Amino acid sequence: MRVFGRLVLVTLQGLLGRRRIVLMLLLAALPVLVGLAIRLGGGRADAPAILDTLVIRTVLPLVALVIGSAALGSEIEDGTVVYLLIKPVPRWVVALAKIAVAVGVTLALTLPAMLVTGLLIGTAQGGSLGSSLGFVLAAIAGGAAYASVFTTLGALTTRALVVGLAYTLLWEGALAGLLEGTRFLSIRQATLGLAAALGAGDPDVATLEPIASLVVLALAIAVPLALTALALQRFQVRAGD
Amino acid sequence: MTATPAVASEPAPPAPATPNAPNAPVAAIELEHVSRWYGNVVAINDISFALGPGVTGLLGPNGAGKSTLLHLIAGLLAPSAGQVRLAGRRPFGDPTVYHEVGLVPEREAIHPYLTGHQFALLNAELQGLPDAGAAADRVIATVDLTEAAHRQIRTYSKGMRQRAKLAGALVHDPRILLLDEPFNGMDPRQRLHMMSLLRSMAAAGRVILFSSHILEEVERLAEAVLVVYAGRLAASGDFRSIRRLMTDRPHRFTIRSSDDRRLASALLAQPAVFGAELVDGLLAVRTSDYAAFTRALAGVARGAGIRLFEVAPTDDSLESVFSYLVRR
Repeated sequence: MRVFGRLVLVTLQGLLGRRRIVLMLLLAALPVLVGLAIRLGGGRADAPAILDTLVIRTVLPLVALVIGSAALGSEIEDGTVVYLLIKPVPRWVVALAKIAVAVGVTLALTLPAMLVTGLLIGTAQGGSLGSSLGFVLAAIAGGAAYASVFTTLGALTTRALVVGLAYTLLWEGALAGLLEGTRFLSIRQATLGLAAALGAGDPDVATLEPIASLVVLALAIAVPLALTALALQRFQVRAGD
Repeated sequence: MTATPAVASEPAPPAPATPNAPNAPVAAIELEHVSRWYGNVVAINDISFALGPGVTGLLGPNGAGKSTLLHLIAGLLAPSAGQVRLAGRRPFGDPTVYHEVGLVPEREAIHPYLTGHQFALLNAELQGLPDAGAAADRVIATVDLTEAAHRQIRTYSKGMRQRAKLAGALVHDPRILLLDEPFNGMDPRQRLHMMSLLRSMAAAGRVILFSSHILEEVERLAEAVLVVYAGRLAASGDFRSIRRLMTDRPHRFTIRSSDDRRLASALLAQPAVFGAELVDGLLAVRTSDYAAFTRALAGVARGAGIRLFEVAPTDDSLESVFSYLVRR
């Protein structure tokens, strides 16, 4: 437990000591500003659509990508991960600590902003508070899934940011909307499906069934953990190092 | 060449019955026909040896495969062929070996946002030491880093980083210590301090293997030497016999003088000279005895009334010494 705690602490120090954390805070605050504008303007209150576009489509994956890809990837990149691996610590413990921190930081950055936005929009004219909170709950699961997947990506490739962006923008943004069969490979679709099951969905938008959504999200957290543990177990320093 | 007890060119015979039994005579580090290749490039070529207590120097020019070899031993690379044993176990993918092993990698990078003390504490806690805080304090003092202990590592000089890395490797007082170019970036005083530290650890029965491309470092610290060149084990044994091999090899000089032809015939009369020829307007001389030749040369030239303009050893680089050892 002490080992796990120390690994979490070191990972946190590494993530929070970077300037990008400020950028992430600003990005996470963006929905709050939009919510505030809607509230003050007294305009439309189609909360689910706005939260979908702003949070699930943009803020959540981007924050999870930047945090997740750095949680383990930056240490692999600069070689300092070696100091964690030449210790008598099971490698899955290292993997679990990295993913736990990525999930925790992603949610810590996005949740407060999401809650505030949900309250602002949800209590606006015509909006429903309950549906906004349902959305936030679904976003927690979605954020955890994104952060897990992107942490693993950081462990597997040095181009995690590019691959992660391609996944969110091209795959989830374009293809998964067009091809129904690919929805099972989309965290966004699963998050929306869960939101719908929690009474926050847009009935006009076809999403995954609740059970399927839960399964996809659970797999998106568990499979990356196993893959990261395996990658660390088989870790080799690069040639020329 | 005769092998010392510390370095044997062939692996020790396998221990009977259970290899990990407490009293089994297991070599601390043991390689059996280990090779490692990357695609078509062979980085390590069929290396076998076994190491016991004491300081062993892993000597070779840059790019010879020293780091690859240390990474194989430390379990950070999987061998393409052959078998590595560290503390009686296969180290690749088995983190439990690190209870007994400390590694100082060559790369300079350490978590820059940690202080030296935090880095030592991280290592102590990941080792599962009961009193990690005390162990961290102790090792910081051992590597002489107390003054800078609470500064971030990003502010450290190269030599301080080396000592922080050493602190991380020593915090659990390991039986086996692997160091990759540990003296890089250290000033002479730090180098002396570190050498005496490693010597006292060796005297206490620790197994220490360190790599270096500098002959003097190995000469001053190591009792036994492994010479690696182009991925092969070129020589192994105690330092003196390797040193003799290095000085006894044929040396070549090129000479410019006022009369190369007459100087050549005068030199051929010397017992230490076994070849002299004129190549591209220069006199090339081969000798078996570096010291005797350089002593005799001036006298020979003066006796024959020839003026020397230039005398240059052509193959005195460590590189050529190593390649000679491999061809031998």
